[in-house]
Amino acid sequence: MVHALEIIHSLLEPAGILVDIHPSSDPPPIEVRLGHRYDLAGWLKETDDYIEYTQADQAIEAVLRRGLFALQQKGTFTFNTYAPSLAELREHLAETWQDALIDDQVAGRVEQLLQSPEIDKEVVLREVVQISRLRSLRLGKTGRA
Amino acid sequence: MDDDLRESEVVMKKLRIDPENSEAAALAEFAGNFKGKRVLEVGCGNGRVTKLFAPMAAFVHAIDPDQQDILAAQADLPPQLRHKIRFEATSIEALAVESPFEAVLMSWSL
Repeated sequence: MVHALEIIHSLLEPAGILVDIHPSSDPPPIEVRLGHRYDLAGWLKETDDYIEYTQADQAIEAVLRRGLFALQQKGTFTFNTYAPSLAELREHLAETWQDALIDDQVAGRVEQLLQSPEIDKEVVLREVVQISRLRSLRLGKTGRA
Repeated sequence: MDDDLRESEVVMKKLRIDPENSEAAALAEFAGNFKGKRVLEVGCGNGRVTKLFAPMAAFVHAIDPDQQDILAAQADLPPQLRHKIRFEATSIEALAVESPFEAVLMSWSL
């Protein structure tokens, strides 16, 4: 990941801007909405336990320390996916996020909550996403900015 | 059953992705200065994020190593954006460019 950021640095004009969007390394909660009420069913798992997102954080910290970039702004937003059923959430994840896994315990809790007589109900996946803006710094002869 | 309830049930049957537009709002805040710039997007996938920021950029070169995603992105591109976006199936390591970019967006790809 550091290598990719080094390549990007080489592709940017001096003082060019890099915006990075990547998910937080905290597992996203899966909830069931019943009308205005939200019940937590559990957390989404990933086959590699979100290690890649921690590595992405570390890669950004590494290029900041090396003076390739300067951090201008950092924040988070919540990216919500609403599915009418567990099966449709799983189908969506299979298409867009192949490492994601809803284990049997969480799936059972979701199905149990969806048995509510409430008409207005859906499954909600809440992903916390990090967004950062960095400015490219020109390297001096020493390799430092 | 009245019409309103029937209509709400139809809406409930659809998958909704970021209906609050949180990602678009974050991009507007963090990538607002992409306006008028030449932008490289790394990991564009099916072009979902590309369509959010491309209207303000001067030109977008959007890359992803997945050929199927690139084909989907090209097929789903609105006509008004076709003149300013170039999709290419390649990796950042293999990308060949003639001149540097003013901005880069890494879309869920680092």
